[in-house]
Amino acid sequence: MAQLLSLLNTITGSLLTICVTMVATMGITLIFRTSNTTNFAQGAIAAAGTYVVAYLAMQYSVHYILAILIGLVFGIAFGLFIDIMIFRRGKNINIVGKQIITMGLVSIIFGAVPLIFGAQIPPQIPAFIDGNFSISMLGGELSITKHSVVCIAITAAVLTVLFVLLFKSKWGLGVRVTASSEYTAGIVGVNTYVITATSWAIAAALAVLAAVMLNAGNASLTPSFMTKIQVSSFLAGILGGFSTFLGPILGAIIIPLAISVVGWLGFINPFFQSWAEVIVYILLLIAILIKPQGLFGKVVAKKV
Amino acid sequence: MNNRFKNEYLAHTSPRPESGWKAHAKRIMSNPLGQFGLLGLLLAITQLLNIAGIVPRSIMTTIAFVSIYSIAAIGFCLLLGYSGLASLGTAGFMGLGIYLCHYGLQEWQISILPAFLIAGIASIVIGFVVGFVSLRIEGIYLAIMTLALSEIIVKLLKTIKGSTLIIRGVNLNFFGIPLSNNAVYFTIIVVLVMLLVGTANLINSPTGRAMVAMKSSVAAAQAMGISLLKYRLLAFIISTLFAGIAGFFYHAYLPGISPTTATILTLSMSLNILGAVIIGGAKSLWGTLVGTFVIYGFQSIFLQNIAFFNENPAFMMMVTGVLIILVVMFYPGGFAQMLFTFRLWLKKMTKKWRIYRYGIEE
Repeated sequence: MAQLLSLLNTITGSLLTICVTMVATMGITLIFRTSNTTNFAQGAIAAAGTYVVAYLAMQYSVHYILAILIGLVFGIAFGLFIDIMIFRRGKNINIVGKQIITMGLVSIIFGAVPLIFGAQIPPQIPAFIDGNFSISMLGGELSITKHSVVCIAITAAVLTVLFVLLFKSKWGLGVRVTASSEYTAGIVGVNTYVITATSWAIAAALAVLAAVMLNAGNASLTPSFMTKIQVSSFLAGILGGFSTFLGPILGAIIIPLAISVVGWLGFINPFFQSWAEVIVYILLLIAILIKPQGLFGKVVAKKV
Repeated sequence: MNNRFKNEYLAHTSPRPESGWKAHAKRIMSNPLGQFGLLGLLLAITQLLNIAGIVPRSIMTTIAFVSIYSIAAIGFCLLLGYSGLASLGTAGFMGLGIYLCHYGLQEWQISILPAFLIAGIASIVIGFVVGFVSLRIEGIYLAIMTLALSEIIVKLLKTIKGSTLIIRGVNLNFFGIPLSNNAVYFTIIVVLVMLLVGTANLINSPTGRAMVAMKSSVAAAQAMGISLLKYRLLAFIISTLFAGIAGFFYHAYLPGISPTTATILTLSMSLNILGAVIIGGAKSLWGTLVGTFVIYGFQSIFLQNIAFFNENPAFMMMVTGVLIILVVMFYPGGFAQMLFTFRLWLKKMTKKWRIYRYGIEE
């Protein structure tokens, strides 16, 4: 019984990470589908946005929600800048070229952040709501931070709105068409410029949102603090299958959950505790070798 | 009689074999051994100048690191530019070299050559694994899978050993003869030149051509009888081996630094190598060398001497970033393409000048 309770506590403890990974993965997937590239700058943009929020809220005591909104607007502006000023201006940039550009952006942001905000770590954003909910059950207490609950609500709302937009609105249709082939989409009259630009804007805003949620939870703010989430977002995308929109999100739930569950197995043998991530990544590798298109992905027929 | 005329005719028409030191030099410089050998010689001379006290120590360190990263970049160039396979696992593969260098020299107390061989064999094994993965998955998916593999390796290493690695100087020995920092530097240069020449020759061999064919079209290459299994495995084995060697020398050259793994074994390390290859020109070894220099050496050799950048080190990173973006935006083929365009332009200009000067067209 005590073990079951500790399992539940482990899971509630990892809920925040799961939410953050889900939101970040949504952004990565949007860009992967519309611009055909892995956006390595996602984490850096997110961190820059969080710096903006932290400084506005902490140093200049702007109202909390207003600060977050300004952070999101910053993210949107940054995303638009990348798509309109860089990707569209370059001539025949291929996929790897796009990846390198996002890498150059990482370099610029990592350089600019200490320059603008100073080298010291800014005060952490406080949790959205302090305190814990606890329920007595199974002869113990199951506790969950109120912050995680708020984040779950935000994540659920944001993802629901996005999925409704993706599958019910005209914009969503445009994204899905562009995702299957940008060239053909252009021919049949989709304004792919608008589609990619809005995708970049939304993706960057999602990145900032994810980073703010993580930072307010419990993570010290450095320019590279989102890199870990970003890496697991990529893996989640591969695990779920980038060919669908829902797959990566499910992958984003599975990976952090699996890591905490394997870590929980540490009560059997401490081995699991210290090797949780390695074990999960190896399982992931095997899963993808068996199903290269991802767990929920569609098989894409290859033309020769 | 007939023969005499023939010889006379031949002597008039065929170009006379050039002689003298100029022709000799030209012949030597036209093969990779000559070109890269000269580069190695120059790098070795810089070190001698440093020993003599002319070149400052900081420049030597930068050159050494550029050379070390170049080793990894060459392997990556072969993988990306010639075989068309993407990888984001360079950091993990280099990490393997770093940790095995530490284990060999510090914990097992063996000399540098066997430790090097162990690191090499381990890298080959990892390359084998990645090669098999690459048979199932392609493109960006493959790149992300290698990222996962690299994460596994790094986590594994950090869980086993932690991130503090120190080799005491005494343990850096070649069968009992202690090695100084300078000796390691010369070894790095020799290895770099050997690998460069080897890679250049490999590219021009049937193996290299098979790899290029595989890059252009997998289906067509298979139809021509090229075994994907063989060449993909080979490409990945070479690439991870080179990365492992680079990691080994990274630690051997900087034996006293402990927190290296925390800072270098990250995604951005792999991305930097990728960037070096791309901005240099993915299908050119010289381009790769220049690209590596721009990413790793440009900051500390040039920008640091400008007062403005020295006072604001954050700007240096930004300049590198902007440079990378501009190169990829306007010259997708990297510096190699830039040089090519410049040559064409020069040729055109010379022709124009000749027409203007002599009024004739060749």
